[in-house]
Amino acid sequence: MNARAVAAWSAACLFIVLFTTNPAYKALVLAAAIVTLAAGAGLRRIRRLLFAIIIVAAFAALLNFASAHLGATVLFSLPASIPGLGGPFTLEALVFGLTGGLTIGAAILAAAPFSLLLSAHDVVDALPRMLSRSGAAIAASLNLVPAVGATFVQVSEAQRMRGWRPRGPRSWAEVVVPVVLTSVESSIQLAESMEARGFGSGPRTYVRRARMRRADWLVTLAAAAAVVLFGVSTAAGWAAPWYAYPSLVIPQVDPRPVVACLLLCAPVLAWRARR
Amino acid sequence: MARATLDRLTYRYPGAEASALREVTLRIDGGLTVVAGPSGGGKSTLLRVFNGLVPHFHGGRISGRAEVAGRSILDTPTRVLARSVGFVFQDPELQTVYATVDREVAFGLENAAVAAAEIPGRVEEALEEAGIGHLAGRPTSTLSGGERQRVALASALAMKPQLVVLDEPTSQLDPDGAALVLSAARRIAGQGRAVIVSEHRLHALMGAADQLVMVEKGAVSATDPRGWRAPRFTPPAPHPAHAGSDVVCASAAAAGFDGRPVIERLDLAVRGGEVVALMGPNGGGKTTLLRLLAGLLPPMAGTVERLQGRIAYLPQNPAALLHRPTVLDEVRFTIDRSGEDEEAAAILAELGMLHVARRYPRDLSSGERQRAAVAAVLPGTPRLVLLDEPTRGMDAGARGALVRLIDRLREHGAAIVIATHDAELRAAVADTVLMVAAGKVSAVADEALHR
Repeated sequence: MNARAVAAWSAACLFIVLFTTNPAYKALVLAAAIVTLAAGAGLRRIRRLLFAIIIVAAFAALLNFASAHLGATVLFSLPASIPGLGGPFTLEALVFGLTGGLTIGAAILAAAPFSLLLSAHDVVDALPRMLSRSGAAIAASLNLVPAVGATFVQVSEAQRMRGWRPRGPRSWAEVVVPVVLTSVESSIQLAESMEARGFGSGPRTYVRRARMRRADWLVTLAAAAAVVLFGVSTAAGWAAPWYAYPSLVIPQVDPRPVVACLLLCAPVLAWRARR
Repeated sequence: MARATLDRLTYRYPGAEASALREVTLRIDGGLTVVAGPSGGGKSTLLRVFNGLVPHFHGGRISGRAEVAGRSILDTPTRVLARSVGFVFQDPELQTVYATVDREVAFGLENAAVAAAEIPGRVEEALEEAGIGHLAGRPTSTLSGGERQRVALASALAMKPQLVVLDEPTSQLDPDGAALVLSAARRIAGQGRAVIVSEHRLHALMGAADQLVMVEKGAVSATDPRGWRAPRFTPPAPHPAHAGSDVVCASAAAAGFDGRPVIERLDLAVRGGEVVALMGPNGGGKTTLLRLLAGLLPPMAGTVERLQGRIAYLPQNPAALLHRPTVLDEVRFTIDRSGEDEEAAAILAELGMLHVARRYPRDLSSGERQRAAVAAVLPGTPRLVLLDEPTRGMDAGARGALVRLIDRLREHGAAIVIATHDAELRAAVADTVLMVAAGKVSAVADEALHR
C-alpha cells in the first residue's frame, strides 16, 4: 500500500465530510471509512477506535443539546435562572449536535489508516525528498504516542498509591506534570538517539522508494473521482445542503453525490491484504 | 594507534555549579573498555563525549582536547561523528525510529547517504554481527528488551564505526537479555573493534576487558582490569521467623487486560515482616502481579484481601512520578498525604541522598533518580511495600542502603514484595523467591537460585 494513495483517500473523505452540511452524505462517508478500515485492519483492531468515536460523537451531541437553545421542537425546558443550562432543550439542537459528532467521527476515521495500516517508513518512503527529514522526525515522534498513554496510567497509579486523589482540576497537575515532563524527556532522548545515528547530516538515501502499484492507482483515481463528482454535485445543486434550524426537515438525497461517497469504498478491493 | 583520546578535558552542563568531568585524560585502543563507578559520578557524560553529544547536543562549557578517529570531537557535529562512533543507549524503547528491524538498522545508513544498493548487504552483515540475523523483517514492537538492544547494537555496527559505545545497555533487561547483549559486545571487541561499555554488572564483562575506567565525581582513572576483584557477597544474617499475620492474601486470583489473563490461579499470602521476591523474564507478569496486590488492577477471578494500612508502591519507571521542585519535596508529598509524622530528611539520610535533597529530581543521574523515587514512596511505616525493579541503575553502595532500608521496614512489620532481576538483592533480603513466567507463579528452590 502506498502512503500517497492513502493520503488521496483520506483527503477525499475529509473534503466531502467537511464540505457538505447534509448528514446523509456525512453518514455515507463514515460508513465507507468504517468498511474500508474493517477490510484493511480487521474489526478487532478498530473496535476501540470506534468506541472512542461513539463517545466523542455523543459528547458533541450532548454539548450542543445543552448549550444551543434554538429550534422549534422543544423537548423540555429548564428555568432561565440556571446559568449556562437554563432555557428550552430542542430536538433540532440534539440532531445538529449528532451531525457534528458524525463529522468528527468521519474525520478521525479518514486519518486512521496512517496509524492502522501504514508503518512509519511507508510514510517516509512515499514523501518527496524535500520532506524526508520532516517525515522521519514525525514518524519517530509517532512511536512515542503509545508511550504517553502508558506513562499516564503509570503515573496516575503511582500518585494514587502516594495518597493523591483527584479533587478538582488543579489536583490533576500532580499527574499531568510528570506525564508531560516524562514525554518531553522521552522526546529529547529519541532526538539524541537520532542525532547519534547521523540524522540530519545531509542529503539521505533510501533503501527503497515507495512505488505506486495498480491497486494504489485505483484508490487514488477513485478518490479523485469522488472529489470531482461531489464538487460538481454541490455546484449543480444536486448535493443539497441541510440545516437543522429552525425546524427539522429530512435531508434530500440525490444518487450522484451518493455515488461519489460510494467511490470511497474502493480501497476495500485494494487494502484487504493488510489485515 | 589510539581510536580515541581525551586530553585534560573539563566539562560543565549548562547552569550546573560543578563540572561533570574534570581534567580527564584517557586513551581508548581496540578491544573492550569497561567504564564503572557510582551513579551520578559522570559515566554517561563521559560516554557522550565520544560521539559529541557532549557538548554539541547538551550544550555547556568544555575545555581541553578530544579526538576520535582522527577528528576533533569539539569541532565536529555529532551527526558527522555518527559515521565513526556507534552509540547504544540505556532505554531500548527510546531509540527506535522505524517499525521493522531491517529498516531500523538501515536508518543510520540512509542518513549517511550510503548507496541504496549497498544498504541491504550492510544491514544483513550488521544483524549477523550482533547475532540477530533471524530477526530481519520482524516488527520492532514484537521484540523483547534484549532483542531491541541488540537491534540498537546492529544499527550502530551497520555504520562500520571505529568505536562502539554502550551506555548501561542491560540496566532494563532480564538476565537472559543482558547476557545476550554483553556476549555480543564481548564478541565484537574480540574482533579488534574498540568497544566501550558502561555497566554495573561488572562480573559479566571483566574477564574480557582490556581496560577498566573508573569514574567518580567527574574524575576519571584508567586501570588494569586484571587487578579488579568482584566485591565479596556477605550472606545476610538469618531473619527471625515471621510472627505477623497475613497482610495481603490472593486466592485463585487472575489479572489481565481486555479480558485476557496475564496472571492466572495465583495463591499467595505475604505476612507482616516477610519479604517475597519475584523473578522471571521481562513480560512474564511480575508487574501485573504487583498491581494486582496493590489493588490497581481488579482481580478477573478469585479474591485479593489486604489488611488496612498504607501501601507503598514503586512503579517500574519510578522517575516518571517525580514532579516536585526538590527531592525533599517529593518525600514530603508522600508524608503529608499519609498522615504520618516523620522527618523527610530521615529517609534521604538512610539512602545517602542528603547531598541532593535540594536538587531538582529530574536533574539527577538515572541511578540517583531511582533512589529519589525509592525515597519518595518509602517514608514512614507502610503496611504493604511493593517494589518493581528497585535497583535499576543503582551502584553497589546504593543497593546496600536499600537492603538496610528494606530490613528496617521488615522489622516494623511491613509485608514486602519485590519484583527484581537482581540476584544479589534477592539473596540479601528475600525469605521466599517466586518465579513468574508466562502468567504462572511457582516457588523457586534454593539450589535453582544458586545456579
